[in-house]
Amino acid sequence: MLRGTFLWRHRVMLTSGILMLLALHMLSAGLAPGARAEKPSLALLWMLKPVQSIEANVADDTTGFVHDYFDLVNVRQENLVLKEQVSELEGQRTRLAELEAENRHLSDLLELREVLAMQAVAARVIGADATGLSRTLILSEGSSDGLRRDMAVISTAGVVGKLIAVAPNASRVLLINDHNSGLDAFDQRGRSRGIVTGLLDGGLTMKYVDRTEDVKSGDSVVTSGMDGIFPRGLLVGQVTRVSQEGPGLFLNIDIHPATDFRKLEQVLILTRKPPQLAPDIKG
Amino acid sequence: MRLVALYAIATVIALALETTIPLWLPIGVLTPNLILILAVDLGMKHHRALGALLAFAMGYAIDSFSGTHLGLNAFMLTLTYMIGYGLSRYLISTSSAIGVIVVFVGATISGLANSVSSAGLQSSSGALAMLPRLAASAGISALLAPWVFALMGAAKRAVGLRMRPVRE
Repeated sequence: MLRGTFLWRHRVMLTSGILMLLALHMLSAGLAPGARAEKPSLALLWMLKPVQSIEANVADDTTGFVHDYFDLVNVRQENLVLKEQVSELEGQRTRLAELEAENRHLSDLLELREVLAMQAVAARVIGADATGLSRTLILSEGSSDGLRRDMAVISTAGVVGKLIAVAPNASRVLLINDHNSGLDAFDQRGRSRGIVTGLLDGGLTMKYVDRTEDVKSGDSVVTSGMDGIFPRGLLVGQVTRVSQEGPGLFLNIDIHPATDFRKLEQVLILTRKPPQLAPDIKG
Repeated sequence: MRLVALYAIATVIALALETTIPLWLPIGVLTPNLILILAVDLGMKHHRALGALLAFAMGYAIDSFSGTHLGLNAFMLTLTYMIGYGLSRYLISTSSAIGVIVVFVGATISGLANSVSSAGLQSSSGALAMLPRLAASAGISALLAPWVFALMGAAKRAVGLRMRPVRE
């Protein structure tokens, strides 16, 4: 019935246009936690987790295999008789080294959990951001392990980020060096408070610190606990540059993050939020 | 149905690769946009409303695994689909060379949109400074495009899907 009409002739363009408007609507409306439009996205996160876990395991095994191979080539050149034995030992050594590193990492996380005296869940990093343009990571644990949106993610080195999406068996963490991230922190020496946010180049900057404040290069920046997400006193990074360029009221403070986000393998998610400050009494 | 299943499987594989490869190789922003290549393939070779729906769904899938703005990649992939569709329809060609150009342009625009949205309008100059890196990433995607097109072509032949676009 529709054949030959304007609608039929241009149905592909019209469908594309409607879908683009829908995408723009999703983009402009933003999403509140638990919004209906977010549900399929969480389902996708849940569905892809097994594939990512397998790939992450294959990657670990492949790395071990490649190392073994190169070791084997060297050994063969030196002594063919010892090849099999060395290969076996190297294989064991690689596996043991990997286990030892993982064990050390988990022990450190356990120690950190005890030091913080907070309930926490350890998770493995199984994926990175799909486009590489935003700074998010995919973790191996989800809501079935007690994780919820906005929980703090930390490592033994310092603050990592906060959870922005939680599926039953996987979750996504927004790293503190993403431009959309912001956490309340202060200079440990000078006690100046500000908001730490990410830069496009992967670094951090501390905003809204008055020009009269005493901040120096080399100072440690720690969480203030005022944002209700991160507990007070966690290391964020070190100040690398302080300047007063530009006409603004505030200092330009560059911070080197304490955590090397590219080398993260295991993280700790704090499942209980730090105590909130009492709201101001009005009137 | 076969078309939907084929692109769904391809999207899952591409997503799994895009999210895990950066864990082994520190390529960061240079990660190729494999799903965008799939969207271009759809736009060039499948001239049906279903193609646009699939491109939107693939963009939504990227949004689930990237960034904080749900809808951004859904918009960009539908737009890329439209560019691919428009070019192949009006040039009456599904040549890989045109596809490679569309992939390069689409990946650059998509990367720029992601950077600007991530940086906010105040830092759009910073996002523009990323243009060389985005162009390099788009170049990598464009280099991979002929192989992805060929792979999808082989997969379509294997499941008995028609390769040429349907002229309206």
